Amino acid sequence: MRPSMSRGLAADHGRGASRTHNNAGRGGRNNAGRGGRGGGAFRAQNIAGRGLGVRGRGRGGGRGGASGRGGMRGGNKAVIIPHRHEGVFIAKSKDDALVTKSMVPGDSVYNEKRISVQNEDGAKVEYRVWNPFRSKLGAAIQEGIDNIWIAPGARVLYLGAASGTSVSHVSDIVGPTGVVYAVEFSQRSGRDLVNMAKKRANVIPIIEDARHPSKYRMLVGMVDVIFSDVAQPDQARILALNAAYFLKTGGHFVLSIKANCIDSTLPCRQSIR
Amino acid sequence: MTLYLLYETSSGYSLFQAGGLDEIGQNNEAVRNSVSDLNRFGKVVQLTAFLPFESALDALNQINSVSEGIMTDELRNFLELNLPKVKEGKKANNDFVHEILRGVRLHFERFIKDLKPGDLEKAQLGLGHSYSRAKVKFNVNRVDNMVIQAIFLLDTLDKDVNSFAMRVREWYSWHFPELAKIVNDNYLYAKLAKFIDDKSKLSEDKLPELTDLLGDEDKAKEVVEAAKASMGQDLSPIDLINVQQFAQRVMDLSEYRKKLHEYLITKMNDIAPNLASLIGEMVGARLISHAGSLTNLAKCPSSTLQILGAEKALFRALKTRGNTPKYGLIFHSSFIGRASARNKGRMARYLANKCSIASRIDCFSENGTTVFGEKLREQVEERLDFYDKGVAPRKNIDVMKDAIERAENKDTDMETEEAPAVPSAKKSKKKKSKSDAAENGDHMVEDKPAVNGGASEDAKSEKKKKKDKRKLEQEQADENTNRTNGAHAEEDGLSKKKKKKSKDQDGEVLQDASDMKKKKKKSKGELEAVHCCFFMVWCQGGGFSGGPPPCTAALRKLSGAVASEEI
Repeated sequence: MRPSMSRGLAADHGRGASRTHNNAGRGGRNNAGRGGRGGGAFRAQNIAGRGLGVRGRGRGGGRGGASGRGGMRGGNKAVIIPHRHEGVFIAKSKDDALVTKSMVPGDSVYNEKRISVQNEDGAKVEYRVWNPFRSKLGAAIQEGIDNIWIAPGARVLYLGAASGTSVSHVSDIVGPTGVVYAVEFSQRSGRDLVNMAKKRANVIPIIEDARHPSKYRMLVGMVDVIFSDVAQPDQARILALNAAYFLKTGGHFVLSIKANCIDSTLPCRQSIR
Repeated sequence: MTLYLLYETSSGYSLFQAGGLDEIGQNNEAVRNSVSDLNRFGKVVQLTAFLPFESALDALNQINSVSEGIMTDELRNFLELNLPKVKEGKKANNDFVHEILRGVRLHFERFIKDLKPGDLEKAQLGLGHSYSRAKVKFNVNRVDNMVIQAIFLLDTLDKDVNSFAMRVREWYSWHFPELAKIVNDNYLYAKLAKFIDDKSKLSEDKLPELTDLLGDEDKAKEVVEAAKASMGQDLSPIDLINVQQFAQRVMDLSEYRKKLHEYLITKMNDIAPNLASLIGEMVGARLISHAGSLTNLAKCPSSTLQILGAEKALFRALKTRGNTPKYGLIFHSSFIGRASARNKGRMARYLANKCSIASRIDCFSENGTTVFGEKLREQVEERLDFYDKGVAPRKNIDVMKDAIERAENKDTDMETEEAPAVPSAKKSKKKKSKSDAAENGDHMVEDKPAVNGGASEDAKSEKKKKKDKRKLEQEQADENTNRTNGAHAEEDGLSKKKKKKSKDQDGEVLQDASDMKKKKKKSKGELEAVHCCFFMVWCQGGGFSGGPPPCTAALRKLSGAVASEEI
């Protein structure tokens, strides 16, 4: 798919009112605790996208119940089976959970639960639970998205990396042979991102405005997939700019849209059209 | 015709030569096809030169310059060395070049022989980390963050101190319920609770101390009486000790809150003196914290500033097509409360305009005076009078001229600070501006008193620090000012009347200076006009389309350029 196709998708760009406000209120996405991550419609383009409502529990972390080490721990009960998407797994135990194979065993990025499983050859493998209430990509997979295009060995440009919670799972999926270029503008959450990236050699943190890809052109090579999660009125334009620079011919992109951020005055359905 | 392409990577600069363009044809689709195939692409595009960065530090410098759009010496040398000497060639910058660059990006690793697969990623990783670290480290809004954190903490403390104090009341009321009725103030209550301890031990001989604490003898007597006839139950000593400890905590906390408030005020006078003197430190700090930083606030149109803090109401209004809110945070500034109900909206709009100007001055001017803020405040007062009684306000241009002049005068004062006469002159000016404000029927609510004293002192000390740095500029400014002083004194009867007193005192210092320098004919007014024009255009025009954060350095450079042109 050509990058230029993205111009056709989604969104009349925000009208005056909401846009001004986005800029004024804490510089767009500057707020550290991004409340209300859920609650928007999620849609992956270039597939017959299914709008799916993700009703977030905010940053509750986990789905209630066992705190810390309880629950999923003690992996003998959990059985890991591969997901339809390569690099993603499902842990079957009392209740199923989406997991990814941890690049850095023994380390939780955002206090998510970890499951370690013994292989047939006796080696221990650790998986990290992917909370769909905190990650739009995770939610999309759980709700059965057709293709995420992110696979082991892929080179991914991740726009809007925030603190790097989702990015850590993407980095798990692409594994040591892939690369994740994680772009985030806010310095506050960029701090957490850099810290996360220190432990993962395949994540390249870039604290820069995604609107200006030419500023970080030296840091990014050609990529296979662009994942864009920037809640801005002109996010389609941002994606197109980045695609023109970095997306290889025939590459793909996944775009998450929160209808409210495009034009808060319109009803959700309308602004997605 | 050959086309040279510069391609920057994390490991170095490289120059490519694209020949035989006609063979591919200018069709983008065709270019795209040939780009994806290395065999064909390699024939068309060849590597001419590659300059690896010497070290990680060097790379960091280079990427910083590249992202800012600055050409480094290394890059210039590299280009001069490798490009053939041509007279101003045709610069191609179109989709076609973009496509080829995409191709270069795709096949880069195969162009450079020494680069092993994975090397580039390593370079990107290292450079990405150091670049991002630097970004986090050198945050331009460093000082603003302190204000933002302080105001957040202050709000939290207010809430907490209040709820803790309620807890003290609740707890101690088991022992002495009557005290809560007599003493309303939370802090005082905690103090008393600690002092009285066991109510049965409270007798007449403690009256003087009680009076000291309460500052009121009647009340003290009342307390003693109430203690005698109290219906509270007796608490065991260990319970009382705990109540006392908690009361002490609450007192400490509220004392700390006071200190924090002072800190916030000094900080605000540091970073946004004009905004602070216009609307008060607290509201100003809230505005800054809501906008995210002073720069963000300065970038806001004043209509946004007006409803900052009323987002919920705004979006509800937009959704339901109702009436948008008239004011947000600026409602707390006391100006709007003083306006009559039907003028509240107008007042909010006017105040927001002035705040917007003040924040821009604070953000982009390099010398921190409160003159503009005070003048703007006077204007708002006058506007209030106008709505109230119909007193016509002064013309904006006159007020601004006056303010500019005053700001200049202050600078001159700074320069000659060693002279003993000056401080008194300054003081008298201060007094004058105060009495000015009083004339306008000014009841400064809550924030004003601190401003005049604290602000001027701060500004003074800060300026002292900056003085050396700015000496050159100031000398130029001085020349100009001195000239203007003379000129204005003759022309401008109105403003002269106002400023006569202060000028006379300053005059001694100024006159000998102005005698020496009468070479130039250009008046300061023109220069100032240039400054202002530039400033306004820059603020309102495309300057804020989201490029690199505009910094005072740029402004300084430009204003320096204007000044030097004149000389």
